[in-house]
Amino acid sequence: MSNTLPPNLQSSIFDYILALADDELVIGHRASEWTGLGPILEEDIAFSSIAQDELGHALTFYTLLEGLDGGDADDLAFLRGSAEFRNAQLCELPRGDFAFSLVRHFLYDLAEAVRLDRLADSAYPPLAQAAAKIRQEEKYHLMHGRTWVQKLARGGDEARAHLQTALDLAYPAAAGLFEPVEDEAELVAAGLVPPSAEVAASWREVVVPFLSSAGFTVPVGTSHLGGRYGQHTEYLSQLLDAMQALYRTDPEASW
Amino acid sequence: MTEQERLEEFEARIAQGDKIEPGDWMPDLYRKQLIRLIHQHANSEIMGALPEGTWIPYAPTFKRKLALMAKVQDEVGHAQLLYRAAETLGKSREAMVEELLSGQSKYSNVFNYPCETWADIGIIGWLIDGAAIINQTLMAEGSYGPYARALKRICLEEAFHIKQGYDIIITLMNGTPQQWAMVQDALNRWWWPIIMFFGPHDKASVHTATLQRWGVKPKTNDEQRQEFLRKFVPKIWELGLTLPDPDLHIDEAGEVHFTDPDWAIFYAVINGGGPMGPERLAVRRLSYQEGAWVRRALAGRPVAAVA
Amino acid sequence: MREWQFNPYHQRIEDALEQTATPPPADTEWGVWEVFQQDRRGEHHHHVGSVHAPDAEMALVLAKENFVRRGPCVNLWVVPSSAILATAYEDADIFQTTSDKNYREAGGYRSFRQKRRGQP
Repeated sequence: MSNTLPPNLQSSIFDYILALADDELVIGHRASEWTGLGPILEEDIAFSSIAQDELGHALTFYTLLEGLDGGDADDLAFLRGSAEFRNAQLCELPRGDFAFSLVRHFLYDLAEAVRLDRLADSAYPPLAQAAAKIRQEEKYHLMHGRTWVQKLARGGDEARAHLQTALDLAYPAAAGLFEPVEDEAELVAAGLVPPSAEVAASWREVVVPFLSSAGFTVPVGTSHLGGRYGQHTEYLSQLLDAMQALYRTDPEASW
Repeated sequence: MTEQERLEEFEARIAQGDKIEPGDWMPDLYRKQLIRLIHQHANSEIMGALPEGTWIPYAPTFKRKLALMAKVQDEVGHAQLLYRAAETLGKSREAMVEELLSGQSKYSNVFNYPCETWADIGIIGWLIDGAAIINQTLMAEGSYGPYARALKRICLEEAFHIKQGYDIIITLMNGTPQQWAMVQDALNRWWWPIIMFFGPHDKASVHTATLQRWGVKPKTNDEQRQEFLRKFVPKIWELGLTLPDPDLHIDEAGEVHFTDPDWAIFYAVINGGGPMGPERLAVRRLSYQEGAWVRRALAGRPVAAVA
Repeated sequence: MREWQFNPYHQRIEDALEQTATPPPADTEWGVWEVFQQDRRGEHHHHVGSVHAPDAEMALVLAKENFVRRGPCVNLWVVPSSAILATAYEDADIFQTTSDKNYREAGGYRSFRQKRRGQP
């Protein structure tokens, strides 16, 4: 298929990519809050790189949207209100302690890796190319997340308790990552994107055994959905208030 | 070998431009002064991550956000390198961090000032990192091997920091009149802290001469300050900015004459009296305490053999 | 002008100021691992620095971003610092060759051209 999509699919693919971009931006922003405040110097540096990668991925996706008449990437990121954001609620929750940020990122990176593997075969070439490029960086994120979670799981009761608490909060919210956008079925039919239910199933196939074998209880709870339709916690508006404040001060200004 | 012979050998080694390495014999004063110096330098890097880190969630565009994160990340990396260099002299990193948190060990005054506007990020990157690179390039020529190696790497990264800062300044000055004014305001507020960055006038003591001969402190604070002013004052003027020192001028020989700052302020700030002193240390302490369980969880494991 | 006098939420300054106590000595220092980097296939690994890490795997994970944020790399090694046995600097004279050992150097030999008699 060429880079030009039939008009009836354009707005659906726009929504789909916007959700990916918003996920990356919001979780990247949360991860960025750790730069300079990490639990140990070496990890402060590593986690900052991961945050930078996610923001870089967001920029890649927003840039794809520029090609779909989405306008400037900075405008997309810094001028929309929270109801216009399409990220999963998992991404916007406050950074919490290091355990929460670590577990959230681990769940997120696995989801991203599974999805990107499928998107690399998308019939929409710009999306396939972006997915293939981003997938490369996810490899380190996964190595980082797996290693930390495994080590801390064997790091005594205190650490295990921190991680289990984090998992209890993050796992139900992670379901929002697989909430389909409105016209996903059409995109799936055209071979542009994988069905989110399949991505979720592949993700669970990896996540559940990993967590169980590390000795954690995989929580069963209500899923936090709605993010893909602009429903968010108050934490997203707080985040956006900070992130967008300067950019919004003066449309004439250049930064 | 007698103590005197060891000292002569040590001094001869430095005189011929050779580095001192961790296992070498060294005078107690040399070890003590180096630990103090590198420790404070490392402290400054990790504390320096805080004023700039203030702005990470507020950075105005993708490009700025990424650049600022990378810069603050580098500062943390510099702390990592420097604490490692100091550790080779026999003090543990944990002990050094704990001394920083308890206020026993100092860090650069300049980080105890608030970062009020986005223009501050530009001024810090351009001028404070500009001042730091003068000091660090000099110290990279110093006599202690591990410190010199760390500084070489650090200097390479600082070059990006200065460009990052300068780019912010130029962009703001090409923006609205309010943005221009924002830069001037930031420069006015940061000028005196920058002048004091190099420290008070060196006392002409035997001690100073010895440390200079040993390559611990190759140039005086005043010499470094002068070097900074010669390099940056013309650039600042070239941009059309003014300095809040009406008596500052450059003579025919290129020497910059300026008003001596109020050093009482310097001593007050270094003892925690700075506008942000208590906050900075408190933030560092909180993050250290909240990360303690992570370090605790994985401490005390036997070092496994490498496959 | 100073309308941007704000309170950076992520640094949690109020919480921080409430915790005034200095933490007691923790004694949780992780071991030191030396890091070696190979820039390209075919080249030697070279020492780039060291990290504190609880074990080898973590040392690798942490070393990557601590030392390879810029520039090329295809492979990393980590080695426990304590596993390194080094010569003493005071024995550095063992590396000095006192007698003429130029037979070990290419420069110690004449070129082919010089070897042939009767040729300039």
